[in-house]
Amino acid sequence: MVVESESTKDESVIDVQDLVTYYGTRKILDQVNLKVRSGEIMVIMGGSGSGKSTLLRHMLALNQPAAGAIRLFGKDPSKLSAPQLHAIRQRMGVSFQNGALFNSLNVEENVAFPLREHTRLDENTIRIMARMKLEVVNLAGFEKLMPSQLSGGMVKRAALARAIVMDPSLLFFDEPSAGLDPVVSADLDELILRLRDAMKVTIVVVTHELDSAFRIADRILVLDKGKVLILGTVDEVKSSDNKRVQNLLNRKSEDVIVNPDEYLQRLTDDLAGL
Amino acid sequence: MTYLIEEKNDYLVVYLEGEVDLSCSPEARRVILDCLQKQRHLLVDLSRVSYIDSSGVASLVEGYQVSRSKNLNFALVGVSDNALNVLKLARLDQVFPIYTSIEALLQGGS
Amino acid sequence: MNTRKFIERIGEKTIDAIEEVGYHFSLLVESFYWLLVGPFVKQPVRLRNIFSEMMKIGVLAIPVVILLSFSNGVMMAIQGIVTLQEFDAESQVVPGIAYSVTREFGVLITAIVVAGRSGSAIAARIGSMQMSQEIDALRVMGIEPVRHLVAPIIFSMLVMMPILTIMADSAALIGGGLYTGIVLKLSLGTFIDRCFDVLVVYDVMQGLYKSLIFGVLIALVACSNGFSVSGGAEGLGKATTRSVVISIAMIVMADMIFTYFLSR
Repeated sequence: MVVESESTKDESVIDVQDLVTYYGTRKILDQVNLKVRSGEIMVIMGGSGSGKSTLLRHMLALNQPAAGAIRLFGKDPSKLSAPQLHAIRQRMGVSFQNGALFNSLNVEENVAFPLREHTRLDENTIRIMARMKLEVVNLAGFEKLMPSQLSGGMVKRAALARAIVMDPSLLFFDEPSAGLDPVVSADLDELILRLRDAMKVTIVVVTHELDSAFRIADRILVLDKGKVLILGTVDEVKSSDNKRVQNLLNRKSEDVIVNPDEYLQRLTDDLAGL
Repeated sequence: MTYLIEEKNDYLVVYLEGEVDLSCSPEARRVILDCLQKQRHLLVDLSRVSYIDSSGVASLVEGYQVSRSKNLNFALVGVSDNALNVLKLARLDQVFPIYTSIEALLQGGS
Repeated sequence: MNTRKFIERIGEKTIDAIEEVGYHFSLLVESFYWLLVGPFVKQPVRLRNIFSEMMKIGVLAIPVVILLSFSNGVMMAIQGIVTLQEFDAESQVVPGIAYSVTREFGVLITAIVVAGRSGSAIAARIGSMQMSQEIDALRVMGIEPVRHLVAPIIFSMLVMMPILTIMADSAALIGGGLYTGIVLKLSLGTFIDRCFDVLVVYDVMQGLYKSLIFGVLIALVACSNGFSVSGGAEGLGKATTRSVVISIAMIVMADMIFTYFLSR
């Protein structure tokens, strides 16, 4: 819900402080700091293994940080009771990478699902709302199809309709353009911008697509090996003289610098007779 | 949300006030459908609505459809920019009869 | 080096196993929490979900359960008559079948069918939901996956397993009765009458108690394997197989333990 009084003391909708997280013994995120301001589109970029998906999972309160803290709407999800966390989550919408539509439900039932679970609205109201959202994402007329009958782009749009059905004030996209052709992907970017303008919603997009990022972002966070490489506006990122940022922008792969002793050890570790 | 119902000429005018969100849109829906049940033309005045969400808009959609099936007039007046944005997103601005004020409607202008 | 690794592995496996049992237990506690407390905190377990699970777990399993139990009844009659002939005690086949079916084989066959049929289906369904991030989607919508997915399954198991077991008992007795009737010239009516003469309520209840335990075991093993799926289609296949193998193994071992205590 877009209520002015929500942003009382702190402008930031998401506040990530010194976030550290491990997978086993491997450090995935290292001292990540990020404030997402109300109403902006924040794009989180990085190659595979940069930790951007993990950062997203933390912002969705699906993972617990090893150190540091996350605040959503000013509250630390790990310190909330289950009902309080649910209340926060009802203000968030997520469009997952592969849609994550419920395969057993048709498109309209998928979109209406959160309403049926969380509200006691009249059935007519629920169905009108679901169809309105399908209209927003240009999927009118596909209500009765099952997810398996949809194309990749349609799945993403149906997932988006489901993500916005409760009128969230915070919206997440995980790789919105992955697996889509450039035209469909540009349409989706257009839709993201339209949503922000009409619903005044704060948007966080995780992507590795540069074109898409530059089209929609207000600010960009570039992650590299779990560390923040740069955080700034599109122009700031484009004009950065950091070599790694430039490599990423120009899609150059990095030269890997090895430590000869360690490398030799890695190659011959555990072998018989050595 | 609060509401007020007034008669003007052939119309019942429903003034909605405050936030029309998930918690009170069922009430808005009931008020609108009750008025239409009385076979009266209906105007919904949104000028004092600070926020309307999709459930509120859905109630208006249902009301409009019911009024058409009963051959009654239905119109929105005083739609704020905020509300208009919500309507525009689902292209509902092209569906509802929208007037700037009650006077404008009664005089036949838009 | 190798012995150390071996011991380490044993340790790891033990910890994993304990963890898994703990996880099963927490799933069970959470499910009962949602079933009992859910309606009061506006997070009820949906009747729609319960009915659809009952359909999948119970109703659709009826034909297989009946077929296998009937065959089992016939088999026991054949073996029983052959064995008892040596002592000229063929007629004692009736209590033999009646006891072993109601106390043991009715419920065992039901549990194995449900584990193989519904347990694997549950593991596969939850596993594919895990893979496609549907579980994450539920979570971020503020819907507890345990409430939405596991609680209805547990509840349906508790309702359907005893019903299936009674059907299995009846089918096995009829199977045994028909065969005995043909061989020993005993009418089915007489056979059933004599069954009721020897059986007491406790014999049937023994099977029904076990059916509840087995149902919960199947549900917990299937759900936990489904939730822990990782690594694509191969992982899904592994989890499905694992859930069937583990639940059948647990059923047979639990059966042994319960039989020991219940039969004393």
